[in-house]
Amino acid sequence: MYRLLATQTLLTSFYVKILFIVLVLAFAAIEVQGQSLVLSGKITDAQRQPLKGVMISLYPGTLQVKTDVNGYYVLTDLDKGNYELKASFPDFREVLVKVELHSQDLAIPLTLHRLHHQLDEVKVIDKHIELRRQEESLNVDVVNADFIQRNLGGSLMKTLERLPGIKTIGIGSGQSKPLIRGLGFNRVVVVDKGVKHEGQQWGADHGLEIDQFAAGEIELIKGAASFVYGSDAIGGAIDIKPPAVPVPHTLGGSVDLIGKTNNSLYGTSVNLYGRNRHWFFDARATLQDYGDYRVPTDQVYVYDYAVKLYKNYLRNTAGKETGLHLNAGYVNDHFRSVFYLSNSFSKSGFFANAHGLEPRRVDEVLHDRSGRDILMPNQEVNHWKAINHSELQLPGHRLEMELGYQHNFRQEFSQYVNHGYMPPVYPDGLEIPADLEREFDKEVYSVNLRDNITLGRHEVKVGANLELQHNDIFGWSFLVPAFKQITAGAFVYDKFKLSEAVLLHGALRYDHGRINMFAYQDWFNSTVTIDGETVTEKLSRAANLSRTFNSLVWSAGLNYNPEGGFSLKANVGKSFRMPIAKELGANGVNYHYFSYERGNADLSPEQSYQADLSLTWTAPRWSVQLSPFYNYFSNYIYLNPTAAHDYFYGAGNQVFQYAQSRVKRYGGELQFKYQLFKNLSAEVLAEYLYAKQLSGDKKGYTLPFSPPASALFNLTWSPQIKGVEDSYFSVDYRVTAAQENIVPPEKKTPGYQVINVQAGTKIRIYSRPVMISLQAQNLLDTRYLNHTSFYRLIELPEAGRNIILSLKIPFNIHSVPR
Amino acid sequence: MKKYLLYFFSIALLFVISCKKEDATQIDTEYPVIHIDGAAAFPKQCSTVKRGEKFIFRARLSDNTTLGSVSVDIHHNFDHHTHSTEVETCGMDAIKAPVKPFLFIQSYPITAGLANFEVQQEITVPADIDPGDYHFMIRLTDKEGWQTIKGLSIKIL
Repeated sequence: MYRLLATQTLLTSFYVKILFIVLVLAFAAIEVQGQSLVLSGKITDAQRQPLKGVMISLYPGTLQVKTDVNGYYVLTDLDKGNYELKASFPDFREVLVKVELHSQDLAIPLTLHRLHHQLDEVKVIDKHIELRRQEESLNVDVVNADFIQRNLGGSLMKTLERLPGIKTIGIGSGQSKPLIRGLGFNRVVVVDKGVKHEGQQWGADHGLEIDQFAAGEIELIKGAASFVYGSDAIGGAIDIKPPAVPVPHTLGGSVDLIGKTNNSLYGTSVNLYGRNRHWFFDARATLQDYGDYRVPTDQVYVYDYAVKLYKNYLRNTAGKETGLHLNAGYVNDHFRSVFYLSNSFSKSGFFANAHGLEPRRVDEVLHDRSGRDILMPNQEVNHWKAINHSELQLPGHRLEMELGYQHNFRQEFSQYVNHGYMPPVYPDGLEIPADLEREFDKEVYSVNLRDNITLGRHEVKVGANLELQHNDIFGWSFLVPAFKQITAGAFVYDKFKLSEAVLLHGALRYDHGRINMFAYQDWFNSTVTIDGETVTEKLSRAANLSRTFNSLVWSAGLNYNPEGGFSLKANVGKSFRMPIAKELGANGVNYHYFSYERGNADLSPEQSYQADLSLTWTAPRWSVQLSPFYNYFSNYIYLNPTAAHDYFYGAGNQVFQYAQSRVKRYGGELQFKYQLFKNLSAEVLAEYLYAKQLSGDKKGYTLPFSPPASALFNLTWSPQIKGVEDSYFSVDYRVTAAQENIVPPEKKTPGYQVINVQAGTKIRIYSRPVMISLQAQNLLDTRYLNHTSFYRLIELPEAGRNIILSLKIPFNIHSVPR
Repeated sequence: MKKYLLYFFSIALLFVISCKKEDATQIDTEYPVIHIDGAAAFPKQCSTVKRGEKFIFRARLSDNTTLGSVSVDIHHNFDHHTHSTEVETCGMDAIKAPVKPFLFIQSYPITAGLANFEVQQEITVPADIDPGDYHFMIRLTDKEGWQTIKGLSIKIL
């Protein structure tokens, strides 16, 4: 028949824990004929008075009605199936109930309770994440702010690394980029508040300009997702959602305090939010300051050259970060419009003995004087963002729009070093400052439009995206030309409910892109003797170049969720990626690698075909999920280290040439959970990836940055302790295999085992839950190398033991009045 | 119920089996080697050469399969930056500003298909350049694109 399960969506930011009462009420069953079912009921308050104007929403779908003057609602023309019914009304606690419509119409009356913070708490069962997983045919993982708090790493991506299939390419203790199933850089899209985040994705030594304290929920799509997110989502997508809108008539906030032992980090993040009935604001300021980080060794070898470390500190890896955010907007039952303004700034040093990977002799006295100062070489990144998200609910339609502006400004400072033919002394009167090695200045305008349409058993999404980019370069070293880029795409996606247990998905997307790159000439003369003739000239490194790309991609998927614990999802699809400016137009020496990187103006867009499968079996005490995938690229773009040296454009360095080859990849993730006892649970997360180039110069080799197989074994004890809530003590034991499968210029990386420990609890102070989290990362101070770390090539071990303490202190200035 | 469990594990097994039958094609993962320990090799770490004179760059190069190309880069180290790959440190002059430092960049072809090669190239040091500490960098690739770098500290008198 039916089962009621009262749940609650996230009413406000995670730290404000709203109490609520579950209501399970009577029902009436009416015999009915045919498929067209009716769901109806009366909504009353605790005093049994009817409530008029309560918004009733039915999921899946976009169906919404309001109760009439007598508190009644009627939803007609429904198919049989499993639904969730939500009743929301300002000043009242939202109620979400699970409804199974079979062959009969149902009447579901509900009682809503006024919001009141001091009620006894009833355990909340949040089902929306599970529902999301069941109704998406792609492999999707969802984590929330609690996960971030428990596993807080040096950056958002480091925090997410615990998830199977997710790795990072990192430099230092604060910068890292996502790697999903071995694909990263421009092959992974990061979406922040609905708009694609545009930084300098192509560079391994640039981080991701996202403040992890400001993230609400994060959705990770493992596998090709071009049809939703466009060109770059060929490897996957990370969708960072903003925190939930505050509850009406509240004013409150929270203070986060963070401390880390390894790099002596201290930080804070302060949040203040408020809302009257319709208008709200949510502001946050984050500040983090850290010193040089420590590794479990006192000597490292930079290209065989021994570098002594002072007290295990990696010289000049200190940094600081600030994040400022203001979200404000208007919300009512059928319309919302929110502005998201944010600015994130970071300044961080590079390991002084190896700028990039290039060995440098440094002034050790100067550098070792303080572990907190940021000397040269260093980088400064500022990312400013203004986004508006608006949503309008009409009968059968939900219209959404995002408008975004981003400005990414990155500067790399280092003392002038003449490489190749550069003059031995930096000339006076040059427009470029002598310490500005590189500068990237990027402005991005984005527009997204979507309509979510409900048509009987179909849920259709149609949409369009437009993005304009303007990229400038500056500095005395050259790698990538300046460019302008415009991309536009349109898609249609249909989710069709074939039966109670089967969902079918189909999607089609068309994209058009145009890139214009601008000419660049060296500021210095290169001298070369050819046949006894000496030629001296300023080399032209890039010519004006324009390319246009078009692409049609598709995707088809299936969800099978029968009765019982088994479920299956499958998806096949084609994805694509436009070549980026660096791949098309690079023509300079990257002294970080001693490589002369040469672009290829004739590259075609990458095409990828991927099949994904996910099998889940859930029983009361355990669950297991296996997610294999197979992926084929007909023309993967990669930087191929050739046997040649170039002494004119390349100043004697090895030529790295962009090329395309056929590639196959496969692998998968396994997740296994077992509830051993009431308070003790075990978990195994494992991942495996294999990649092989099937053609071209490196036929038989893997792809660069292929993470080795690894497994994480976890044991979590969640005791019920009087006086505190949600206590946990958890041990992660990660075993990583050696990576023997390499491609030039990589090195084989031995396997390793690392232990991380997490513990935490919530204590009520003035009835507010203060959250305390403690972590020990790399508990045994193990010395190991990470195959996907930027510093792997110079044998730099990963950070040593790091104890992390964080506190989250929520406060309430003004509660909901009765 | 049990039926699904059976499905689950048979599909899982199928997946594991299909992964196993991977052909084990041999790929080369070995770096080429620059031998500067032989008696005839020159320059070595801390060697000296004279302005206005010629010297012969001599080294034995080898690879497990096929050599690619070799390149030489001589540049000043008056600022004491580090390119040396050698353990032995040499006595260095004081840091100074370059006026007319010697700069030499040249790549030399290696006959195709060789696994061993003796490089012998005459290099002329001009008479009017700054004397002092220099780096003598040898970059050697093999056919697959593996590169070995040797950075030697030398002195030009």
